[in-house]
Amino acid sequence: MRDTTSSYTPNDAIETLSGAQLTAWQTDRLRQVADHAYRQVPFYRELWNRTGIEPGLLRSIEDLARFPTISKQDLVQAGSGWTNPDQGPVAFSTRGTSGAPLLVWLSAEEEEAYIQPTMRGFRWAGFRPGMTALLMSPVWHRLAACEAHAIARLGGRCAFFWGSMGTEFTDSFLHTLSSQRPEFITTTAPFLLSLIKGNTAATVQPHKLFKGVRSVVVVGLPLTPRMREFLRDRLGVGDIFERGGTQEGAAIDECQHHTAPHVHEDVCYLEVIDDAGIQVAPGLRGRLIVTKLSTAGSIFVRYDTGDIAAFAPGQCACGCGFRRLKIYGRPESSVLVGDRLITAYDVRMCIEEDPALVGRNVLLIREANARAGVLTVAVEGEAHDPAELQERLRRQLAVAAANIVWLGDLRVNWGFRQVLDAREIPISRN
Amino acid sequence: MATENAYLFFDVPGGRLAFGDGDLDIWAEHLAWCYHMMGVGDGATVAVQDFGSSPISFLGSSLLMPGLRRGVAERIEGRFICLDASAERVTLTPALLAQLDVDALVIREDVLELLSAELDKKGFTALAQRTMKTIVVFGDEPAPCNPGRFQPSRHFMHVENALLLAPQCVKCDCFHLREGFYQVDGRVIRNLRLAAPAHDLSRGELFSPSHCAAGSGDWCIGWSARGQGV
Repeated sequence: MRDTTSSYTPNDAIETLSGAQLTAWQTDRLRQVADHAYRQVPFYRELWNRTGIEPGLLRSIEDLARFPTISKQDLVQAGSGWTNPDQGPVAFSTRGTSGAPLLVWLSAEEEEAYIQPTMRGFRWAGFRPGMTALLMSPVWHRLAACEAHAIARLGGRCAFFWGSMGTEFTDSFLHTLSSQRPEFITTTAPFLLSLIKGNTAATVQPHKLFKGVRSVVVVGLPLTPRMREFLRDRLGVGDIFERGGTQEGAAIDECQHHTAPHVHEDVCYLEVIDDAGIQVAPGLRGRLIVTKLSTAGSIFVRYDTGDIAAFAPGQCACGCGFRRLKIYGRPESSVLVGDRLITAYDVRMCIEEDPALVGRNVLLIREANARAGVLTVAVEGEAHDPAELQERLRRQLAVAAANIVWLGDLRVNWGFRQVLDAREIPISRN
Repeated sequence: MATENAYLFFDVPGGRLAFGDGDLDIWAEHLAWCYHMMGVGDGATVAVQDFGSSPISFLGSSLLMPGLRRGVAERIEGRFICLDASAERVTLTPALLAQLDVDALVIREDVLELLSAELDKKGFTALAQRTMKTIVVFGDEPAPCNPGRFQPSRHFMHVENALLLAPQCVKCDCFHLREGFYQVDGRVIRNLRLAAPAHDLSRGELFSPSHCAAGSGDWCIGWSARGQGV
């Protein structure tokens, strides 16, 4: 598992395991989780009984693929049947972007397990004892709840700004930034973009307030290489790291090589499968399936997140042997154009080839003509070389045609949404 | 009173709260007391629609903050639902309330209208009123009474920069300034447990201790005589 010739210094015992040892460890954990789910959670017992599955079938890690995948809708419908007696006292809501929101429970035992990888990720991102971290709200996400614990255990101080992650709170964020002078920040990429856009005319430019910030760890948007450079340069910070995860238990963090976030293999077992349910090879995209390696909190066994993801092939230069996974988007951040599922990430990659367009917000527009292979994209600001961009989008994304809506001065509240319906953009197309 | 070696800093409107070792548990105990004063019993499921930097949120459980040994959930042996007060999250609340029996929904006054509209839109008003106690959190003074608006079961006074948490008592309907936590001098209320600015009570009627048996050493604030919303 670990590249023994590298200079990577493991902090946890799990990181010192060989590939075979890690697989054996994870298989054992999966067996415990499946056994617990079968005995304690009626939803799983009934589902697996119906499909002829029982936990004893899980003899190797490959056997997990025999268990059925489950969806958010399944769990919402299951109601109390999905309750785990050890689920814990605190619940967080999913964002409800793909239908009804789901309450996900966290227990002390489970949180303890997740604090360790959070500390690992923060060390990778350059956090050192004595630093001050400006953190996301602890009630925003179960992974955010682990952040302050991780910072305190790493010997740091925690600061929180007033408000939430909406654009209306960027001033509040900047106020805390200027008064606390943190060296380390966790936030969302859409929030940072809003902050940059909202302060271009301000007397105090963001990079002055960010002076002294060594690392910014972002969630909420898959970073393109050029977006990372844009954020780093415009804010004048040391480096930008992508962190990811789901309320359902996936946890990933980037190391300094930025090749793709590493999976924290001690808390979750992740799979990427195709439409036939077969695991795909590294480098190929599929749907992300999450199994949490804990019998505490809400239980997720082969939960289909709907996220579009791919494992990165090969080993990371950092020497850590944990697999690397890039999450490109979700169904709600993608549009079906002809028979191709195009993610907002793919479109941004293409648009950002033009340096003048890097950092602009981009939205995919869901229109009727998408069925005929026409991709419609809204781009913030004034038009720039539109013919060239249309041709590039058409060619690189293999669509029949590309329409671009230049948003000009139109003010859009940039958030996590990356796809809009056509009726939500009330301007004419170019 | 002064916070030594603080390592947790929360910016709040008009100031900052700083906490060191042991501080958070003092306030979690006080917040649990506030819930009891408002009629929220042990074992309750409490959902809080507030920002993460509000003590009503971050004192909710030891899982949310380092250095907090027992948050509200652990003290009342209940459950705590994190509902962030951003507009995006408020729109999700009706669907969440439909999934779970909540004993108390604690919500910031400034998002109450949005939640009411969402509940109406999704036809959940009856459901919400049937299954839970609603507690509306206000700052300096409650909003004027509006019969057309969602009517809460209780109110909760929270002046953020003073860390002033005064629950509306189920016995006397007034807001208790707990003995040992707050000192009243004229109309100035001082926090005795945390370095925080004093709060000058601009309106409302102050009642001296022994006003209410639920907290005989507490000063109380009454709003109803002024025709306010409580």
